[in-house]
Amino acid sequence: MAILTRKKSASKKRKAPASQRTWSIGFLTLAVAIYIFYTYIVPHSPQGFQDQIQTWFPPSALNEALVWVIAALGLNIVVGYAGLLDLGFVAFWAIGGYTAGWFMSGFFYQLNIHFGSESPKHFPGIHFSFWIVLLLGALICAFFGILIGAPTLRLKSDYLAIVTLGFGEIIPQVFVNGENIHGFNLSNGTKGISPVDNIGLFGKRLGPFDLNYKYMIFVFMAALMVFISLRLRSGRLGRAWLAIREDELAASMMGVPLMKTKLSAYAVGAISGGLAGVAYATHVNGIFAERFQFSISIILLAMVVLGGMGNVWGVMVGALLIAWVNSTGLPAVGNEINSTFNTNINFPSYTFLIFGGLLILMMLFRREGILPESRLKMVLHETDDEIRNEEPHEFISEEEAL
Amino acid sequence: MALDSAPVLEAKNISVEFGGLKAVEDVSFDIPDRSVVSLIGPNGAGKTTFFNVLTGLYKPTSGFVIYNDEDITGVVPHKIAEKGLARTFQNIRLFGLMTAEENVMVAMHSHLKAGIIGTIIGTRQQRREEREAREEARALLTFVGIGKTATEFARNLSYGDQRRLEVARALALRPKVLLLDEPTAGMNPQESAVFVDFVHKVRDEKNLAVLLIEHDMSVVMKVSERITVLDRGMKIAEGSPAEIKSNPRVIEAYLGKSAEVNN
Amino acid sequence: MAGVTYKTRQLRRRYIERAFATIAVAGAALWLIANLIKSPTQFFEVTFTGLSNGILYALIALGYTLVYGIIELINFAHGDLFMLGGLFSAHFITLWFGQKVPSAVGWGVLALCLIAVMVFCATINVAIERFAYRRLRRAPKLAPLITAVGMSFILQFVGLRWNGSGQKIWPSLLPSGNLSIFGVRLPYTTIISFAITIPVLLVLTYIVTRTKQGKAMRATAQDQDASRLMGINVDRTISFTFGLGGALAGAAGLLFEQTRGLTSYNLGFQLGLIAFTAAVMGGIGNLQGAVLGAIIIGLIQGLNDGLPIGLGQQWSNTVVFSILILLMVFKPTGLLGKPTTEKV
Repeated sequence: MAILTRKKSASKKRKAPASQRTWSIGFLTLAVAIYIFYTYIVPHSPQGFQDQIQTWFPPSALNEALVWVIAALGLNIVVGYAGLLDLGFVAFWAIGGYTAGWFMSGFFYQLNIHFGSESPKHFPGIHFSFWIVLLLGALICAFFGILIGAPTLRLKSDYLAIVTLGFGEIIPQVFVNGENIHGFNLSNGTKGISPVDNIGLFGKRLGPFDLNYKYMIFVFMAALMVFISLRLRSGRLGRAWLAIREDELAASMMGVPLMKTKLSAYAVGAISGGLAGVAYATHVNGIFAERFQFSISIILLAMVVLGGMGNVWGVMVGALLIAWVNSTGLPAVGNEINSTFNTNINFPSYTFLIFGGLLILMMLFRREGILPESRLKMVLHETDDEIRNEEPHEFISEEEAL
Repeated sequence: MALDSAPVLEAKNISVEFGGLKAVEDVSFDIPDRSVVSLIGPNGAGKTTFFNVLTGLYKPTSGFVIYNDEDITGVVPHKIAEKGLARTFQNIRLFGLMTAEENVMVAMHSHLKAGIIGTIIGTRQQRREEREAREEARALLTFVGIGKTATEFARNLSYGDQRRLEVARALALRPKVLLLDEPTAGMNPQESAVFVDFVHKVRDEKNLAVLLIEHDMSVVMKVSERITVLDRGMKIAEGSPAEIKSNPRVIEAYLGKSAEVNN
Repeated sequence: MAGVTYKTRQLRRRYIERAFATIAVAGAALWLIANLIKSPTQFFEVTFTGLSNGILYALIALGYTLVYGIIELINFAHGDLFMLGGLFSAHFITLWFGQKVPSAVGWGVLALCLIAVMVFCATINVAIERFAYRRLRRAPKLAPLITAVGMSFILQFVGLRWNGSGQKIWPSLLPSGNLSIFGVRLPYTTIISFAITIPVLLVLTYIVTRTKQGKAMRATAQDQDASRLMGINVDRTISFTFGLGGALAGAAGLLFEQTRGLTSYNLGFQLGLIAFTAAVMGGIGNLQGAVLGAIIIGLIQGLNDGLPIGLGQQWSNTVVFSILILLMVFKPTGLLGKPTTEKV
């Protein structure tokens, strides 16, 4: 199958990734502005305004959305960069959460190990500092990522999807049943582990209600993931990932070791999921096994798809948007509509329709995401007019024979 | 003469069977160092299958491949590429959503050393490595004649430029053997003539051997130092262009399949 | 020579695989024998239950394998189609026709429902293919897969609206009670399941092997382009395949609803994945394999859940998925599948 001939239009100037710099500055500015808003402006504003803010943009929802961003950026590396369809990402979120549960609470009350933690020394259990637990969570998830990935990443995409889905079901089920595994209490089963230690930051102890400080920490973690993603993308690993995503066979024939490269994507993604899991545990002050459902993996996937697979900023925007709609927007809009029109529609029950529809519509009509990398948009749409009447042409289809 | 030098690649008694169908039957073939050789034959003769065996994509049912005195039969494709066997594809297989220079830099993956941590932090070593890789990529793009397209998306290049990009990418592997799969498909006679010179230039300046699969007889006759002919999976002739042109078995194989023989 | 080393590497791997498989099978056999000895009646009853689950899975698995065989797509929404079939049947029989107890009229309504639900599900499946999957036939694999996941969610939404977020219990028109053989109780509902499923499978086999459409299906599954060149209307054949798979899912839905008496919006997800495991176990694309795999999985699941020496129901998912993962890693072609010679 021949590739279409394209005339170069000399007049079009290709945008260099100076747009990355614009986005970074914009992101940081916005983050600071939001902090100022919630810390200084809102508490001194009239009650009506505060109520509106609490209904539409509560700071807890913002923090939760940031946790979703961290996880989505991880999935973006797996699905968006390397093109590996992972339907079981919730497994890493869960593992991260339980890492916090094991090392930042009174769960292992038989022991008494304190390290770097602000918790009083006489509290039973293992109490590491939040930052150490983050590191631990990352390492444990990376380990599991490699463990799961090693035998499975060589499968073709549809099989891989199912296998990851399988792990996404098995691992949470292990935790749900984990109260008594041959006498050992791994997870406290459905009772969950709660409470979780406070975060120690420069001597302060941040509990579940210290939303503003947590906000800064979560923003920092999200920024870290963005930074890691962009750095990797610009190096040889990012190129290898994109090559694998486009044409695995050609990539291998150009010297890219498939298994190692796929594993690295999976491990980095897993680390991100683990970090999100730890963060989330401190956010909701506990780890509850039944929360780790398949729908989380799908919501993350929807975030990556909406943002444009591979587009870090798009995924961040998509994640914030979807997380907000899911936690706050949908119920709030629903209440408004119900009270205005005197209806009684249960809006949150429409999430299945919204997510399902979103995935389908994006795949059919806007595969590059709502906020594509400007260059990707140019590539994917410029050819549209030319091929409108021809059969749909994808750059690589698996049927391509040599 | 290049043909007298020691073979850089030797394929011995290669047979490839696909569940009963013998695609390649007992073919032995070697490529002398720094030579330009061609593999021709009517459609379905097994040329691409043989190619795929050389590059590690297929495992032969029997026989082995020796490269640089090393047995590479059944070795994973990416390792073979690392060792210095590079190829282009009959249907262009570029990474369309990456720029031309990124495409070339992908092929440098095995030479580059940067790890995950190094890339994230951006150590001086990693930055230098990236810079040098980019320069080498641009040099290769210029060498094949598309230096101006470095930051364009591969998908947007013209057909001819895409073919050149594929060669540049293959060259980034610093190969000792370059395998070109029907490189002049879709070219007109002028372009093919230019291409013949280009192959010689690549061999001379990059110090490697070239193996082509080709259908265009005028190109084959002009560019090759030696031609091997396959028909129905078996080698039926091997020799200089003059010998092959007048070989009755070859003529019969082609006429029998009613393929064109351009002189 | 070094070329020989490669061959010996292959042979060695084959020996190891065979050794593992033998150990696994031996282990399974020991487990079964242990349970049999411990409690024979329970063993047989549980086996029978497992078998009846198995044939249910078979109907669903066939739908997966038919579609995968022809366009290499895992239709994630297939399990949810089964769930909708059950919902439809429940409403049809109990609400629209008001049948609540076994009776002569009841049998008539059941038969009518079977046809109606098969048409219902077939239509939905064909529509899904036509409006969502067809466009993405040449797209990179990620796109249709994600679309299928999205479609699954939409169907679950429909189930949610129609059936609510919990389970609903429905009366069955099948005679209750058991047939007792040597002290082992075999429920009438199970026997009837077999009585319904086996003819359905026979009809399916006939369609696939003897009719023109069936031949077109098999040709398209092997090579789409060649089939097109031979005058087969590939689009229509694919639609037909989806319709067939949908009909099977519908029949399975009716069967489940009548034998288990419950509907729930997330039934499809659970059972769908189990059925898919079965399809893979038998060799995806292979019809007999799907049935064989389904029976095996049904047995394993039933035995694990019900037997004294087993992990119990709360580990059911883990057991089935672990089997799926092991299969895909070590034997992706399944028990009966033909290894795909990937022509490059």
